[in-house]
Amino acid sequence: MSQGLNRIALGTLAFVLAGVWGLPFLYSVWTAFHPEKYSATFQWDAPITLMNFVEAWQAAPFGVYFVNTIILIVTILVANLVLCTLVAYAFVRYRFRWAGFLFGLVMVQLLISPEILIVENYLTLSRAGLTDTILGIALPYLTSAFGIFLLRQTFKVVPRSLDEAAQIEGAGAWRVLWTVYVPLARPVYLAYGLVSISFHWNNFLWPLIVTNSPEVRPVTVGLSVFATVESGVEWSLVNAATLMTTAPLIVTFLVFQRQFVANFMRAGIK
Amino acid sequence: MKLNRTSTLQAVMGAMLGAGVASVQAADLEFYFPVGVNAPAVATIEALTNAWAAKNPQHTVKAVYAGNYEETTTKALTAAQAGDPPQVAVLLAIDIFTLVEEDVIVPISDIATSAEDKAWMSSFYPSFMKDATFEGKTYAIPFQRSTPVFYYNKDAFREAGLDPDSPPKSWAEMIEVGKKLVVKDANGNVTRWGTRIPTLGLGGAWLFGGLVVSKGDVLSTDTGTEARFDTPAAKASLDFLLQLAAEGVMQPGGISWGDTPKAFLERQTASMWTSTGNLAFVSENAEFDWGVGFLPGGDGPGAPIGGGNFYIFKGTTDEERAAALDFIKFMTSPENAAVWAIATGYVAPRPDAWEMPEMKAYVQRLPQALVALEQLPHAEREFAVFQRAKVTQYLVDAIESVLAGSAEPAAALAAAQKKADEVLKEYR
Repeated sequence: MSQGLNRIALGTLAFVLAGVWGLPFLYSVWTAFHPEKYSATFQWDAPITLMNFVEAWQAAPFGVYFVNTIILIVTILVANLVLCTLVAYAFVRYRFRWAGFLFGLVMVQLLISPEILIVENYLTLSRAGLTDTILGIALPYLTSAFGIFLLRQTFKVVPRSLDEAAQIEGAGAWRVLWTVYVPLARPVYLAYGLVSISFHWNNFLWPLIVTNSPEVRPVTVGLSVFATVESGVEWSLVNAATLMTTAPLIVTFLVFQRQFVANFMRAGIK
Repeated sequence: MKLNRTSTLQAVMGAMLGAGVASVQAADLEFYFPVGVNAPAVATIEALTNAWAAKNPQHTVKAVYAGNYEETTTKALTAAQAGDPPQVAVLLAIDIFTLVEEDVIVPISDIATSAEDKAWMSSFYPSFMKDATFEGKTYAIPFQRSTPVFYYNKDAFREAGLDPDSPPKSWAEMIEVGKKLVVKDANGNVTRWGTRIPTLGLGGAWLFGGLVVSKGDVLSTDTGTEARFDTPAAKASLDFLLQLAAEGVMQPGGISWGDTPKAFLERQTASMWTSTGNLAFVSENAEFDWGVGFLPGGDGPGAPIGGGNFYIFKGTTDEERAAALDFIKFMTSPENAAVWAIATGYVAPRPDAWEMPEMKAYVQRLPQALVALEQLPHAEREFAVFQRAKVTQYLVDAIESVLAGSAEPAAALAAAQKKADEVLKEYR
């Protein structure tokens, strides 16, 4: 009986929290599909319009921006997965001098917020002639202390006996990594990939500072054109643009929802 | 045959010489600009930039959208520190002290030295040139300048039995008129306030500067080393804001900048104090008869001036500076100043721009646009000192804590003054 009550209470709480979380999203859908004057007056028969999307799409070269964002996040993700895997594997599998110290150095990076390094990073890029390129935006993020940490922890719990069994079968270091460690860390890769994609999809200040041409800029820079604080914000336009730029992420999440949630639970990232 | 060859040679040499001359004069400009108003403004800037490039085929210019004012300043400073500055940028007028301290800009009066150049520099309204100068040198040229005005709902005035053509002029009138404009529902809840003065954040501090000006004082002086928070004028201004809430004319507590135009358009307030940058937005969306007046003042009219100016950066060649100057002249020409003012609602910074036929047509269509211009002689520069971001925050904190009821005006202002002096004393 009390268990039944508990379930009802928990269910209610879940609905309330989902409602609180979902309201801003519902509001943005409402305003995006209605003319500006209905952005704070809710009438069920308010006329529905797609003009906000048309206007938002035309206010900036969003087509190019989308392509750039996709190139950017794919570059970063692929580099992250390869580099972090190799570094984590070395830390777990090999005993070498200074290993603890080096891992400590990697961990220290987690404490440094990327914004502090903007001027230094800009200087490096400008010496290398990489400002105003997509590679330039990606370069400081090609490897990640968080990714190394996460994969090292995952690789550490892989039973040693599996590794040894593979070696007895004649597998070399690469083969062991590819057939033992990587498949076992699959949930972690998925979870990390999701976090990485959403972070870089949303990154704004660094791409803005390091690029000058629309040809290499990501969607967030296009979106910022609508943050017109001085003249009063047009919510319907802002929300149409926001929905448009976040749609790929939302659709991806909905399609892979079950897998993502399951993987997050298993990977222990909440 | 021989003659022919010589002439060919001459022609080639001439062409090379010509190319040589052209390449000495040619410059590739990078121009950073922020956007604080409606999105189509980006297209207008790009159209103007392309028109200059078409007129000057030996040069190129790349207009780089760089976010809002703050982000544009960050981007320009980062690039300048890395030795890769833009040649020209539009940045906040009040950032002049930061830019001088970081040593990244050149005085425009050092480049524009001919008699013709000097005449050009004096063709702008003196109110706008005041915050472009430092220690006798002109560092900036006004471009997108704004000032707040009093917007009011004429229909609401008529409903309340007030004359829709005479908005309140003084603080006392504001309170008296405001009380009549308040509408309550059957339960005694206010459905329409008398007025709305944004008080939170930087927008709040900007308007607060206008209140102080109308009491005959200023928040900062031309030296950039003096903040004047602990003054009778500042105290009176805070008292006025508290009184508006106490008399039930204005919603108590802090009022945000961004929501204010919306509240006005939705008739939640009968009037508002906000930037002329909203003219286009209000005229497009208002479904009632509306007017614009001077900001009601304490002892007389008074308003702050804000917005952005053109700056030319250090670390550039003489050719680039000359081209940048020509570019600025083009962008601020009467024709283009008019185009920009009409597209955005900013105040055109020179008298002859208001004489352009398209500007005259605009004013006829939207007479409210003239009010800001008429108010200009009563306006003073926005709060600007060295370490502006930090010191302004002390003022913002003082205003917000007083309106939230957690501090007394006199004590809050004295505390802000002390902190500001602490920061500014090393610049004196």
